[in-house]
Amino acid sequence: MNIYPWIGLAVAVLTLWKCQVFTKVILPAAVGLVVICLWQLACDHFLSDTNPTPGQTLAAIFEIDDNGRLWSDAAASLFRVTWGFFLAALVGIPLGLWVGWTTRGFQALNPIIQALRPISPIAWIPFAILWFGIGDGAGIFLIFYASFFPITVGTMAAVRNISMVHQRSALNFGLTGFELFRRVVLPAALPQIITSMRIALGVAWLVIVAAEMVGMDSGLGYLINDARNMGRRYDLVAATMVIIGAIGIVLDLLIRKFEDFDEVRWGYVKR
Amino acid sequence: MSPSDKTVESEYENVNEMVQPKVVFRNVSKTFKKKNEDLCVLQDVDLDVAPGEFVCLLGPSGCGKSTLLNIAGGFEQTDTGSITIDGQEITEPSDRRVFVFQEYGIFPWASVWDNVCLGLRKLPKEEQKRVAQETIDLVGLKGFEKAYPMELSGGMKQRVEVARALAVKPDVIFMDEPFGALDSLTRLTMRSELIRIWKQEKPTILFVTHDVDESIQLADRVVVLTERPGRIARVVDVDLPHPRDLASPEYARIKGELYELLGVRDWG
Repeated sequence: MNIYPWIGLAVAVLTLWKCQVFTKVILPAAVGLVVICLWQLACDHFLSDTNPTPGQTLAAIFEIDDNGRLWSDAAASLFRVTWGFFLAALVGIPLGLWVGWTTRGFQALNPIIQALRPISPIAWIPFAILWFGIGDGAGIFLIFYASFFPITVGTMAAVRNISMVHQRSALNFGLTGFELFRRVVLPAALPQIITSMRIALGVAWLVIVAAEMVGMDSGLGYLINDARNMGRRYDLVAATMVIIGAIGIVLDLLIRKFEDFDEVRWGYVKR
Repeated sequence: MSPSDKTVESEYENVNEMVQPKVVFRNVSKTFKKKNEDLCVLQDVDLDVAPGEFVCLLGPSGCGKSTLLNIAGGFEQTDTGSITIDGQEITEPSDRRVFVFQEYGIFPWASVWDNVCLGLRKLPKEEQKRVAQETIDLVGLKGFEKAYPMELSGGMKQRVEVARALAVKPDVIFMDEPFGALDSLTRLTMRSELIRIWKQEKPTILFVTHDVDESIQLADRVVVLTERPGRIARVVDVDLPHPRDLASPEYARIKGELYELLGVRDWG
C-alpha cells in the first residue's frame, strides 16, 4: 500500500486543524458522512430489506415533497408548536417573574408547579382529546403544557438567582416598583429566560410528534404512523424522521438568535 | 417645619460641619445567630470620620469589617449602638451613601453610559448628560460610553462602578475590597487613580481591605480591627503626602506597626 497519500492527508488535516472552515464545516460534515456510511453498511450486511438505505430515505423525502404532505404536515405540526409555545411564554414568563420575585407567590405556587411538572405531557393526551377533540386544539394544549413548565420554572430560577450585588446596587440607588423590574429584575433574568425558552421549544418539538402519533390526524407524527400502518413504508418513516430533525435544528437556530443581543450576551460568557 | 426654620437649620448645620464628624459609629455590636452558637462579629466599635476623610478599615478575613460597612450602608442592622451620617441614623440604603463592591456591582446588561446614569434618573435630560460625561471623563473612560462591561477589563469595570458612585455626588462612598479581584499592577494604578479622583472631588471614603500596603497607600487614617469579634485595636494616622513614597522610613514604620497590630511577625 502506498503510504504517501496518507501522509499527505495527515499533513492536510494538521494544517487545517484550527481553521474555522475545518472546525465548523469540514469536521462535522465528515462525521456526518461516516454515520451515513455506517448506516449504508448496516443495510448491506446486517439489516433486513425492510430497513431503508440512506438513498431510499432521500428518495422518500422527495416523494413526500411531491405528494404535498411534507408542507401540509410540517405546517400542521409547526402551527401547533408555535401557538402552544407562544401561549406558554405569554403566561409562563410573567408568572415565573412574579413567583420568583415575591415570597408569598413562591410559597403559594411553587409546590403546585413542582407537583404538576413531572407529569409527562403525553399522559395528558386522553384528556386533551376529551376536552378539545382530535385536532389542533388538543395539540396546542399539549404543547402549551409541555413548554409551560420549562419556561415558568426557568424564569422563576432566573429571578431567584439575581446576584446579591446587583440587588444591593438597585437598593443603593433607590430603585423600586416598576423601575426596579425594568432596570434590574427583567434584564438580569433575561439570559436564563431565553435559555429556558430554548429548552421548552426543544421539548415542544419532541412532544408534538408523540402527540400526533397517538391523537391527531395530521402533522409529522401522524405521517410517521400513517407511513407504517398503510404499507410498512419504513423509507417514509425514516424520511419523516430526517425532516423532524432538520426542522428541530432550524427552530433551535432561530431561538438562539435571541442570545446575540447586547443586553443578554453577558449571560452566556464563561466566567 | 416652616421654610424659614429650614433655612436657619441648614445654616446651623453648615457651621457645624466644620467641626462635626461626617460618619459616627457608636458602640456598634453585631451578632449573627447560627444554629449551634451565636457568632459575635463586632463588639463596641466607636469611630468618628471627618468630612472628606479617607479611612481604611484593615483587619484579617472574617473580622467583621465588611459587616461594619454593610451596616453603615444600610444593608444590615446593628444589634446595639448606632451609625449616623450628618447626625441621621442609618436604617436603609440610600443614594447619599454609595457602595462599590468587589464583585462588580455594575449591571452587565447595561452600557457604561447607562450604568453611570443609574443614579441620575431624576435629573433633567441635559443635566444627566452633562454629569454622566463629566464623571466618565473623570475616571478615564472617555470613548467607552457605549461599551458593555463584558468587553472591559476588571480595572475598567471598577472605574465604571466608581463613576456610577461619584455621579450622584454622595456624602460617603463605601468601598468593600474594590480592587481585590484585580491583578497587582492594575491594583496599583487603580489606587493612584482613586487618590487623584478623591483629591479632586473630596468625598468621604470608607475603604475595607485586608492589604496592609493598600491601606497605607490610600488612607488618612487606618482603623485596625482585631480578629473576631471585631474591635478597634488602634487607629493609625498616616501623615504622608500623596503620592506616597513607599521607600520612606515613615512608610516602613507604619507598615511595621500595622503588621504588629495584626499579629504578623516575619513580614520581611
